[in-house]
Amino acid sequence: MIPDTVDPITLEVIKNRLVGITEEMGAALMRTAFSPNIKERRDFSCAVFNHKGEMVAQAAHIPVHLGAMPFAVSEVLKDVEIGPGDMILLNDPFRGGTHLPDLTLVMPVFIKGRSPDFFLVNRAHHADVGGMAPGSLPLANNIFQEGLRIPPLKVVVNGELCPTAVALLEANVRTPQERVGDLQAQIAANRLGERRIRELVAEKGLPETRICCDALLAYGEKIMHHIISSIPDGSYSFTDFLDDDGISDKPVPIHCQLNINGENAFIDFNGSSPQVEGSLNAVRAITISAVLYTFRLLGPEGMPSNSGCLRPLHVITPKNSIVDAAFPAAVGGGNVETSQRIVDVLLGALAQALPEKIPAASAGTMNNLTVGGVNPANGELFAYYETIAGGAGGSPFGIGMDGIQTHMTNTLNTPVEALENVLPIRLHRYTLRRGSAGEGQFRGGCGIVRELEFLAPVQVNILSERRKRGPYGLAGGKNGLPGRNILIREGESREIPSKTALNVQAGDRIRIETPGGGGWGKPSDMDIDGCFTNEERP
Amino acid sequence: MKLLGVDTGGTFTDFILIDDKEIRTLKIPSTPQNPAMAFMDGVTRLKAKSLLISHGSTVATNALLEGKGAEVLFIVTQGFRDILSLGRQSRPRLYALHPERERPSLGEEKIIEVRERTLPDGQILLPLVEKEVNRVLSVAKEIPCSSIAICLLHSYANQKHEKLLEKIFLMQGYKVSCSSTILPEYREFERASTTVVNAMVSPVMGNYLESLEQHVAPSVLKVMQSNGGTMSSTAAGDKAVHTVLSGPAGGMAGAFHIARSMGIDRILTFDMGGTSTDVGLCDGSVPTSSQASIAGWPIKIPMIDIHTIGAGGGSIAAIDAGGALQVGPASAGADPGPACYGKGNAVTVTDANLFLGRLLPDNFVSAGLGLDPQKCRRAMEVLARKSGLEPYRLAEGIIEVAEENMAAALRVVSVQRGHDPRHFTLFPFGGAGGLHACALAEKLGMRKVFIPLFPGLLSAVGMLLASPMRDYSASFLAVSSSDRTNLDAAYKPLASQAHQEMLAEGVRPADLTLEYSLDVRYRGQSFEINVPYSQDFISAFHQKYASLYGHCHPEREVEIVTLRLKALGQGLNFEDLTALKEPSAASPPFIAKVIWRGQRQSWQGYHRGHLGIEEPVTGPALIIEDTATHLLPPGWTAIRHRLGHLLLEKSDDS
Repeated sequence: MIPDTVDPITLEVIKNRLVGITEEMGAALMRTAFSPNIKERRDFSCAVFNHKGEMVAQAAHIPVHLGAMPFAVSEVLKDVEIGPGDMILLNDPFRGGTHLPDLTLVMPVFIKGRSPDFFLVNRAHHADVGGMAPGSLPLANNIFQEGLRIPPLKVVVNGELCPTAVALLEANVRTPQERVGDLQAQIAANRLGERRIRELVAEKGLPETRICCDALLAYGEKIMHHIISSIPDGSYSFTDFLDDDGISDKPVPIHCQLNINGENAFIDFNGSSPQVEGSLNAVRAITISAVLYTFRLLGPEGMPSNSGCLRPLHVITPKNSIVDAAFPAAVGGGNVETSQRIVDVLLGALAQALPEKIPAASAGTMNNLTVGGVNPANGELFAYYETIAGGAGGSPFGIGMDGIQTHMTNTLNTPVEALENVLPIRLHRYTLRRGSAGEGQFRGGCGIVRELEFLAPVQVNILSERRKRGPYGLAGGKNGLPGRNILIREGESREIPSKTALNVQAGDRIRIETPGGGGWGKPSDMDIDGCFTNEERP
Repeated sequence: MKLLGVDTGGTFTDFILIDDKEIRTLKIPSTPQNPAMAFMDGVTRLKAKSLLISHGSTVATNALLEGKGAEVLFIVTQGFRDILSLGRQSRPRLYALHPERERPSLGEEKIIEVRERTLPDGQILLPLVEKEVNRVLSVAKEIPCSSIAICLLHSYANQKHEKLLEKIFLMQGYKVSCSSTILPEYREFERASTTVVNAMVSPVMGNYLESLEQHVAPSVLKVMQSNGGTMSSTAAGDKAVHTVLSGPAGGMAGAFHIARSMGIDRILTFDMGGTSTDVGLCDGSVPTSSQASIAGWPIKIPMIDIHTIGAGGGSIAAIDAGGALQVGPASAGADPGPACYGKGNAVTVTDANLFLGRLLPDNFVSAGLGLDPQKCRRAMEVLARKSGLEPYRLAEGIIEVAEENMAAALRVVSVQRGHDPRHFTLFPFGGAGGLHACALAEKLGMRKVFIPLFPGLLSAVGMLLASPMRDYSASFLAVSSSDRTNLDAAYKPLASQAHQEMLAEGVRPADLTLEYSLDVRYRGQSFEINVPYSQDFISAFHQKYASLYGHCHPEREVEIVTLRLKALGQGLNFEDLTALKEPSAASPPFIAKVIWRGQRQSWQGYHRGHLGIEEPVTGPALIIEDTATHLLPPGWTAIRHRLGHLLLEKSDDS
């Protein structure tokens, strides 16, 4: 319960202050970063933790980091001697990370004593961390192919950036200048957060601030209890599939059994596929994030994200599985693809409990495209990464949005004019994929067609999903159309697999067609205007 | 010359008329169905002729917000018909079961793709041939639209194809907005959006201004722009996208000019309205930024840099599921309004102020509103029971939460941008600003508050004082080098366009000021910083970067992204308006019963017009005037300046 000493007023004030700190950290990180993933796509998160390693506030940046940040801090607390002015860097998915491109930086704040009173943490998706392919999301079958693995490592010692640690990082990545720039942006964001935390403590006092942090966690827990108790008690289950792991052709099932019992939810993923050879494996942190995201959808706008919210969510994941991968699994796609399917599965189960609320499946893939090579304009190595949106699922509230980022990501596109100005790439088409939406009383959203021509020989990696099974419809709605990846070479088009690595020549084109969202409700109940954009155009 | 400032707001239309001898003000209800009615009514009532009128209007904003702009035909490079629908692919709310875009669709049939292609360096890959132009024209003729927006890829680098199409459509009598004219900067979605907004609002604005001009002839009509300057009404009819924030721009420009006339260069402005609060920071100039977005449409032209939050007098207080007291963003609006308006039961910030005796129920009568303390008390008691707080504590809590939110907004524009608020004066305006100003100042460590004369008419005053202004820009996109030849050459066309257009605005060359600046960043970044163009702009950039972010990279290459040129004519000085003085109301001081930090206290109350010039009044006290109340807490002193402004200062010993 909320400690008696904290009244509703103080609670609101302190909540807004702490969230404000994380948002300010995020704004600074975004504006000073060099990786497109951070500066344009906002693939990062910032958070404040208390002395016990509980997350008390996180800015709403990207859902896939939601429940994952506490794993990083607990690894740091477990393993590393830390002092004032130190910062710890990590990306090891099996020790507090998620997938290798996400670099997490943890900074302890010592107010008076010899142990940290707070931690500032930020996690950002770097454009490249080495490994077998530019962009570090390759068709790997073990973690070593995916890039440089960093266990909790003291990268700032007593306020000074450790040059040997930086040299190691630089030596193992394709665009070292950019990495160091991004790391400096992350350091500056944490320092900014530290300054603000010190100001807050100076104003409120340390004991009072601690009490407020506990109250905030209790507050998050209370809101989550409230959300869960609005779901009818019962047992619901659902299974959906990933197309394949890119190495074998076999579909990969994800199963969840959801038990709602009063104010608590038990989410059991037993029955899901064992971990796979390809890179679709999600570590437990990702699964937790996907679960928290899904329940947050049912909560009030502006609800906080903190460790308290997680307390009523009891997540059971079988070890060495697709939703709880263990060393030495490849995990690059766990974040960007499997996380989406976990949401689909959970929403499928919730739809049985709340049929008048839950939308049909959205695109269910981030359509990851990475391109790397030598830029002929300046002779420099480059690594470019983009994700392409798809259709949102139709819902009882209306048709699904066309061509929009859904669920675990909300990253921006790179403007065509920005892309063509700096890279040997030319866009030929970037439109909605008409006809791809699942029909229904409320149709899904249309996917996207994006066609790129390469002006130099480069290496291309595609990591995509929903190429075999379209996103499911609900309540009588039809499935959305699955996506397609097409290589166009010398006028000839041919379809290529959902997970592809290939070397292209100048003049080759890649055309990605992303899935449409599932429809909701019977198509015969459709409002005629709702369907317009879904008609095919020549 | 007689001068008239007219600010059409959502609720009221404000007039301020100045001639050699006197100043007259008028506040009448707006006529949202036809805003010209209130305008004309006011001008008639003031019986003034041959005026120089500066007008700020919500016509363009409302057309956008209410979706009542002109139907627009959008012409775009083949393969990119959906750039407006797709936007940046992101959803506005991260956690939504049913994500929605704010921006409405133009309609499938109103988009025409054209076969042509220009490259980033301006080279033409696929020429636009005559046959294709004719095809586009014949398709367009089938669609009942008279306003056209054209946005072709890379047209900022070469506007040839856009100009070709523009010429043909102009000849056919269409109204045309060309992206390479409206916003010649790279990033296609934002450029297209800005261009389409112009095409939507210009016909509406043009008709509106035309009808006003007919009515006020031979008076001269100028229109307030979002950048804090004015433009002729003819120009505004073609480039109405420049007027979407004209009201708030008037307020901030007014605050800046008045403060500067008092020798105060650095102010934090604070305009508290019913549903939202606008804050801004002036450090020697009225700052602009190009980050605005209205109704989901990004508008990337320079606008005065205000930060808006959803907290105002009408913000509703509620206890949420987790037991925290939330204030806003839901608002009771004007109807039903706060509980004390007598129509609804929502407890708002205004109710909290009334409950604590900080607002006097009778002081709203002149605005046509009597406040109902009983209704307010009952609503407060109901919510107090729900929250487990004493009613007075709840009321104080509502104000505390609202003020924390407003202080956070002030921190965003100051601390977060490298400014120390302690070196600034807080400049509140609007009816409720003065109630919260001193508390906010204390939260930010500020010691000075400046309350202008006519705080409720500040936007109209700002419109009077604004000078003719135009902003020009061009994408440059090159790493900086010591050779400035290219840079200087790229500025030339901007400067000659500025000279030409400002002359047309009636600005004499001798009165014309040109301010050159650059948007720059480290190569590889995506966010730029604007610095004045000088010999050592690069070191200025490193410095500004460091002050914003705490570190900089002197070893990295600096990239010039956009060239900017601001053309400014001569405006009016506030000193010229010596006729500005406030009406003296000879009402005696009174006693106000106020609850302050849990204690019932009797405070001294003053009518503003009754305060002696340069005679200090010490807090605690309430100072009231028509439609505004100012709270002077203990430890603060207020002095009424000779020109009528109030200067509030925190004493050293508290």
